Amino acid sequence: MAGAAHPDAMQPSRPGRTRTARPQRPPQFPFRGRYAAYTLFDITGVLYLLVGFVALRVVWALGNGAAAWHEVQRELTHPSYVAFHVIALISVVFVGVRFFRLFPKAQPPRIGPVKPPPQPVILGFLYAVWIGVAGLMTAILAGGIS
Amino acid sequence: MSDQDRKKFVITRFDPDRDDEPRKQTYEVPVEPYWKVLDALNFIKDEIDPTLSHRWSCRMAVCGSCGMLVNGKPSLTCKDALSDYGDTIEVEPLSNFPVIRDLVIDLDGFMEKLHGVRPWIIRAKQRAAEEGTYRQSPEELEQFRQFSMCINCMLCYAACPVVANEPAFIGPAAIALGHRYNLDSRDEGNAERNGIFRGEGTVFSCSYANECSEVCPKHVDPAAAVNQAKINAVIDWAASFVVPRGGGE
Amino acid sequence: MQRLAARTRYGLSEVIRHDVVIVGGGAAGLRAAIAAVEASPNISVAMVSKVYPMRSHTVSAEGGAAAVAREDDSFEMHGYDTVKGSDFLGDQDVIQYFVEEAPKELTLMDHWGCPWSRNEDGSVATRAFGGMSTKRTWYAADKVGFHMLHTLFQHSMRFDRIVRYDEQFVTKLLVDGGAIRGVVALDVREGVVRTILGRAVILATGGAGKIFPFTTNGNIKTGDGMSLAYREGVALKDMEFVQYHPTGLPGTGILITEATRGEGGYVVNSDGERFLVTRDYGVGTKAELGPRDMISRAIVMEIEAGRGFKGPYGEYVHLDLTHLGEQKISTRLPMVRELAKTYIGVDPVVQPIPIRPVVHYMMGGVDTDIDGATVIPGLYAAGEVACVSLNGANRLGSNSLTECLVFGARAGTKAVEFAAGSNDGSEAVLRRMGEEEAARIEALRGKKKGGEKLARIRRELNQTMESGCGVYREQASMDETVRSVARLKGRYADLALEDTSSVFNTELVVALELGNMLDVAEALAVSAAHRKESRGAHTRKDFQTRDDQNYLYHTICHFDPAGPRLGKKAVTLGTWEPEERKY
Repeated sequence: MAGAAHPDAMQPSRPGRTRTARPQRPPQFPFRGRYAAYTLFDITGVLYLLVGFVALRVVWALGNGAAAWHEVQRELTHPSYVAFHVIALISVVFVGVRFFRLFPKAQPPRIGPVKPPPQPVILGFLYAVWIGVAGLMTAILAGGIS
Repeated sequence: MSDQDRKKFVITRFDPDRDDEPRKQTYEVPVEPYWKVLDALNFIKDEIDPTLSHRWSCRMAVCGSCGMLVNGKPSLTCKDALSDYGDTIEVEPLSNFPVIRDLVIDLDGFMEKLHGVRPWIIRAKQRAAEEGTYRQSPEELEQFRQFSMCINCMLCYAACPVVANEPAFIGPAAIALGHRYNLDSRDEGNAERNGIFRGEGTVFSCSYANECSEVCPKHVDPAAAVNQAKINAVIDWAASFVVPRGGGE
Repeated sequence: MQRLAARTRYGLSEVIRHDVVIVGGGAAGLRAAIAAVEASPNISVAMVSKVYPMRSHTVSAEGGAAAVAREDDSFEMHGYDTVKGSDFLGDQDVIQYFVEEAPKELTLMDHWGCPWSRNEDGSVATRAFGGMSTKRTWYAADKVGFHMLHTLFQHSMRFDRIVRYDEQFVTKLLVDGGAIRGVVALDVREGVVRTILGRAVILATGGAGKIFPFTTNGNIKTGDGMSLAYREGVALKDMEFVQYHPTGLPGTGILITEATRGEGGYVVNSDGERFLVTRDYGVGTKAELGPRDMISRAIVMEIEAGRGFKGPYGEYVHLDLTHLGEQKISTRLPMVRELAKTYIGVDPVVQPIPIRPVVHYMMGGVDTDIDGATVIPGLYAAGEVACVSLNGANRLGSNSLTECLVFGARAGTKAVEFAAGSNDGSEAVLRRMGEEEAARIEALRGKKKGGEKLARIRRELNQTMESGCGVYREQASMDETVRSVARLKGRYADLALEDTSSVFNTELVVALELGNMLDVAEALAVSAAHRKESRGAHTRKDFQTRDDQNYLYHTICHFDPAGPRLGKKAVTLGTWEPEERKY
């Protein structure tokens, strides 16, 4: 279940004069209710760490000549790498969508006389840029590899 | 006349002088159809077990005293209708807080966090009463009005996974209150509060759970305040290299 | 993780020292604390409250706070409205001072961050309110009490010299050598009793609506400060005058603000008739904006005439806001909308709200002069607990929040002046008094021996107050209430309690509060039974007119073990002579 929170959670700087019971974490945390999506959201960080290692490997191969480069290209076609990249893509989309849902909330109501545009406009703009840039990158990479 | 509806209440009990750990106690209560959870707790205290301790006062969702976990979720017990729940209802003290007794938690840590954001009008020069009120347009009021609605019920602290793990984190309600003053056109304390927001217990500990806004009974949307505060804190930090500090306007 | 050893509590009275001690952390108490630390750079102020300040019942006030603001208004008009509203029982020197100080106090609230609702040009907006001849009620949507309380509390956090003692229940005032010396308080969390010494004490503990069964008041309004002063020989003044707010929700008694009528709401009976307009209830052209006592009476009469609605929570009439439109309700009355939906299942945008008169405010209280001073040197009182008397026999809506600020500030300043000239009294004597009080409380904790139940005595108290001291009163039922309360006091001594715990024992607190409520009920019933006239909120079926010849005075009630002693105190008249109260 949820269990105990940090023993000092919400503790005042000078402890109260009676013995208190240890703070408990929210009961549905970390895998039930809305917390499930949140926990997943935070765990995807591990995937990006791994993606980073893969990117480093590719870059290292680039610096080591054509043979190393072709070797890495061949490795990357292995089914487990492909599966990994599909999972990474799904998680990026998941994180992106969740983050974009939060984005309009983070806009100040006004900057001077200027109000932010309505929520659908902000979201539309974010998705347009995201898909546009992703599409462009894909085109370059696909065109650059022959 | 049909039998009165009865519900089972499983309530956390804890007397530090008698119990090593909190324990559960079950009560069977005859309930009225229009009751809130608080009405059942008061019935238990009046008629069944006077040793049950809980906080309550206004019973109209404005004083913030009666926050508890009901079936695992932070709720205002004076606002939650019994008819929304089944036959067994679990009532526990708010999560993430030290528990003093039964359903009563220690809120002095919260009071310190509130105090820590300097929640008052900061100005280089205070106006004298004779000079009259400040001019504030309805648009300027609307900027911060939503964030001024917090009743300090602490449901957001009970729901926040970061509060559970990081004792120093300032937390949703305190950040929302500090942000409320930052947005108030009468206040000049942005630089000071943004420094606090970047310091120990930083607003950047928030990892976008959004649970605080989901449980807030007054629609304050503290998650919006925290994330706006993050942006403001960064802008303020960057601006401090360009614009000299010190010397009010 | 060691268990706390069983403690002997006799003689465990810890002594703390401050310059000024304030009992109660609502609008009046907080304002007094701020005034006190601003009056002197050195003093320390203790704020002792049985709840954390943001839980104080100030928080539930909705409508607004009155002060002259517009060009078409004047101190004279505000003064006259208040005097007339009080049915000429208000002290006119007090009222004069009040109306002149009011704008300054509300301006200070703006400076301290209160989010007053605004006009387009940025000035503070005002709305119409009952009994006011022009718009002078400053408002913050429909949550003025919430915003004012939080503003005051947050502003008070600037001052390190205000030391808070939260969840400490004051059970006794310490009077020695002819002056106040401090208080004795039960620490609800720890279960120990402490003595907090101060050269001046200000009571700001609010009213006592909980002695009645249907009230807008929250759980904490149990008249503690009134009882504290009463027991030390201070008179309770004008206790018979209890304000019934016309528009409370049936069942819970939750407040639906007068601002609903200020913004144009109608009060209608079961025939759909706006009876305040069509029938003569003394409110004239003011209709729904008449004073609260008249409207409450009108509603009761309509229900008695069979033109009310019947529901699971009793009989009621309707408050119709449907013609105001969603836009106006959402901006000016958002909390009303939410309250109606949550607590009675009605959306006021499309349906009328069921309402009935419920107990709301006590005009009477601790007898003080214009400075908030009582007959005990150094003991002050401000806010609803006090009877200055600003409100006389009936209070106008939106005057009481301003009252808390004006007289809280004055009491705070005067208390500091007194403390500067006072001395500490004998510590040995005070320590002994504290220990005696600690023993008394200990004897009550978990007192198994007895035949009476807390909840039953409280219920019977509620019932007798409702039947004898309701909106309409008569001699026989008032006399019966006087006798009932006396019997209940006797039965209270035979109370059996179950909770023997030390830490956060709320049964003990409820028992102490019940004792306080019985004192207040006794003074109220006795005062009501003696006043053989109808004036303001005290309406009698057997004496239906106002009798200035015989009853133009403040009722004084002193505690006496043999039964309360009544007396009279003259009303300070001034510019306005008593006249017929017609609107």
